Amino acid sequence: MAAKAGTGPAAAVGSARSEGGVPLRFGDDLLLWASWLYYEEGLTQSDIARIIGVSRASVISYLADARERGIVNIAIKTEKLRSLTIAKALQEHFGLKDCLVIPGEGGGRSPFESLGSGGAQALRSIIKPGDTIGVGWGRSVLAAAERLSVDGLQDVRVVQATGSTSAHVPYTPAACATAMATAIRAECIPISAPAIVSRRELRDMLVQETPVQEQLASLEELNRIVFGIASLRPNSTLYSSGFLNDTPKFRDAYSGAVGAIAGHYIDDMGRRIDGPLDGRIIGISLEQIAATPQRIAIASGIDKVPAILAALRGGFVNVLITDAATGAGILSADGREIQPARAAATPVPETGTALPARSSVKKFLNTPEDAVDEALEGAVAEHAAFLRPVRDSNRALIARNGPREGKVGLVIGGGSGHDPCFLGYVGRGMADAVAIGNVFASPPPGPIFDCTRAVNRGAGVLHLFGNYSGDVMNFEMAAEMAQMEGIEVSTVVTTDDIASSAAEDRSGRRGVAGNLFVFKVAGAACDRMMPLSQVELLARKANRRTFTVGVALESCSLPETRRPLFMLGEGEMEVGVGVHGEPGVLRQSVETADDTADLVVDRILSEMDPARGDEVALLLNSLGSTPLMELYIVGRRVRQRLKARGISVARSWAGHYCTSLDMVGMSVTMMQLDEQLRDLLDHPSDTPAFRIG
Amino acid sequence: MRLLSPILSGLHGRMAEVGVDDIMAVLREASARLASASEHLGQLDGEIGDGDHGTTMVRGFAAIVRALGEVDPRSSDLTTLFALCAGSFLDSVGATTGPLYASGLLRAGAYAEGRVSLPAEEAPMLLVALGDGIGSRGKAVAGDKTMMDVWLPVGQAVKAARAKGAPLGETLAEVKTVAGHATEATRSMIASKGRAARLGERSIGHVDPGAASAAIIIDSFSDILAQRLG
Repeated sequence: MAAKAGTGPAAAVGSARSEGGVPLRFGDDLLLWASWLYYEEGLTQSDIARIIGVSRASVISYLADARERGIVNIAIKTEKLRSLTIAKALQEHFGLKDCLVIPGEGGGRSPFESLGSGGAQALRSIIKPGDTIGVGWGRSVLAAAERLSVDGLQDVRVVQATGSTSAHVPYTPAACATAMATAIRAECIPISAPAIVSRRELRDMLVQETPVQEQLASLEELNRIVFGIASLRPNSTLYSSGFLNDTPKFRDAYSGAVGAIAGHYIDDMGRRIDGPLDGRIIGISLEQIAATPQRIAIASGIDKVPAILAALRGGFVNVLITDAATGAGILSADGREIQPARAAATPVPETGTALPARSSVKKFLNTPEDAVDEALEGAVAEHAAFLRPVRDSNRALIARNGPREGKVGLVIGGGSGHDPCFLGYVGRGMADAVAIGNVFASPPPGPIFDCTRAVNRGAGVLHLFGNYSGDVMNFEMAAEMAQMEGIEVSTVVTTDDIASSAAEDRSGRRGVAGNLFVFKVAGAACDRMMPLSQVELLARKANRRTFTVGVALESCSLPETRRPLFMLGEGEMEVGVGVHGEPGVLRQSVETADDTADLVVDRILSEMDPARGDEVALLLNSLGSTPLMELYIVGRRVRQRLKARGISVARSWAGHYCTSLDMVGMSVTMMQLDEQLRDLLDHPSDTPAFRIG
Repeated sequence: MRLLSPILSGLHGRMAEVGVDDIMAVLREASARLASASEHLGQLDGEIGDGDHGTTMVRGFAAIVRALGEVDPRSSDLTTLFALCAGSFLDSVGATTGPLYASGLLRAGAYAEGRVSLPAEEAPMLLVALGDGIGSRGKAVAGDKTMMDVWLPVGQAVKAARAKGAPLGETLAEVKTVAGHATEATRSMIASKGRAARLGERSIGHVDPGAASAAIIIDSFSDILAQRLG
């Protein structure tokens, strides 16, 4: 039994944000503070009394009150329960002898640490005197060996399962076997030959050498084997460790493979795949693994699901040690559903599940299929002073006062449904032309090319758009077409959405409301007649310094379906949501405007890492249905936080700037300014949705 | 010229050929099958995407079929045919699927090098070219849970069959089997390209809609060629 403050997800958030200054985060809520210290920090009532400065009797009554008022829910910790459920399901479904599933919440430990501890715990109870244990290699195996320590076992032998590698990683076959042997005080039998040799004849010769022959013979005597399972994903250790050369030809030969065990490739059903390595591997064979009575695999990671599933299907594993997320993934990949992890008060239907009957959304439409074209017809008429069709279609629009001789042309574009993105930013000082696609879908290359050709005035053209695979490909094709006509095209994609990918993968992030700042900076640079290379550099710089986090309260709904694209529970919000309803990083209970603002500001500042005295441009953006009133409330708190951090808001805007149809929600964008960016931001612009000067 | 080819090949000892009219028949069949699978594809996409894959593929292939109405199979060549298809598909679709299939169709056209027909045993190489074109545009690799998880193994199977000189019928049957199996295999994968990538582990357990539609096209290719040349 364990306790959680509030509902499950909220508690997770609480602890995630607990690193900052204590105890301000509790406000003046002593009940919450006491509950936290007692249930989450595990302090005694006396300690708490001392810390808070009240009597122990008061603490006891606080804790009782907290339960009464629902601040604290006593529940069996769902994550632990879930991992038990998953372990049992895995065992049944795959006929395993045993299965250990590590709970997902690792308490801040790395996945390998958790898995290693789990592996060590399992091995401690598995290994018996007189064993001959084969040991594979890899991070998981080494992590388990390093956390294992068993004394007093007699006559245990550890056999290195594959030959040696020259890889410059800590988890080579030899290192894993040695670590395991040391941990259980066993005799270690290495394989004194390379794991993979260049030619078959060489293998045939080496395995006849007496020491190697003897060592390999001991692989026939294994009663247990411990091994990892390699995925074949691009970031797999199989390649990064140097165990295998990752050449295209090599990959081609094994294109049907989903994983590898001890250097042997297997397909999704766990069958061996023939290829260039045949006859060149020195070490345990798949048949030998399958014939070993106890076959313990230690492997986790969502990207390993296909590989682990294949190994299970092939019968190479009868004891599995993994984590909850991976275990659930394996089961659902094999068609067996596990109860959702979320044990929140209200069940959360996932995207695409059956919707409640009430969910037809009212909209002002004629024929839904005509929505985009009719909206464009209206917009072009509305903004006729600023823009007109390039040719006869409203899918490619050009600024009336935009392109001019010697000026770099700026072409932006993307799907419909984000108004005023993108056509609202076409005009003097910003974009020269815009290509428009269907709802949430990239425009085809045709209109992009039309725009490109129309704005080219001999100085080249910059393509600037959000980072989505569809947009990237269509703009890329249009750029190829333009280049064939001798038009110089550079491309910059916006990647301001923090939640869409990790900081290390900045280039993989999507572009959202931060578009506005990047468009503005690039447009100003064009208007000042800077050369294409410099415009491109400035656009990249603006993008690099722009960060956005979105929060959704309700899904948007597409004109054609009039149904929510995803479902949020009654009391839920989604942090990090994308402008097409892409799932965010966190689903949690709805918080106050101030707490939500704090969540967003924390994320932005931790990425931006500004110094005291820095200036930012601020954009408070409605995702569609959230009114300006709420933006102001959030913005007020954002400013308080920035002020406290010593950051000044040099420029700011609030309103509808990059929407997601009728989504209820908002995003906060900050661009870290310097003199140059501020100057370009201040440069005059005159467009339907953005005017400066 | 294809009309008489069974007789001609008998008379002149020539191998059967796959010509413009055969490919047109394949495309029409694919279009019809995609249309009847539209709802199913939409549902698959609804699980992990925005649910428009079915309508997108149908719209793209309908545009191809419309364009075919103006092709005279007797005076066209395969390269021109595929370029026309690529253009019509792209103009009507955009999004992600548009550039992918357009690039694939263009590559298939480039493979044909202006020929009016290909020897029957060589025809499945068009599938290899299609897959290569899609792959180089989308840059997805095996296991990303995309349509490439069908196109790659299919391409592999075609090349393997060709290397051992398998007759057309055998290759086509093999290709169908591989495509079906590969589609099912996407169930265990985690999406790492496109919009589904944002779902991460939630995408496990669902067949990728792009893989499913790729298999429909490949099946149409196999069935129609088997029927016309078998």
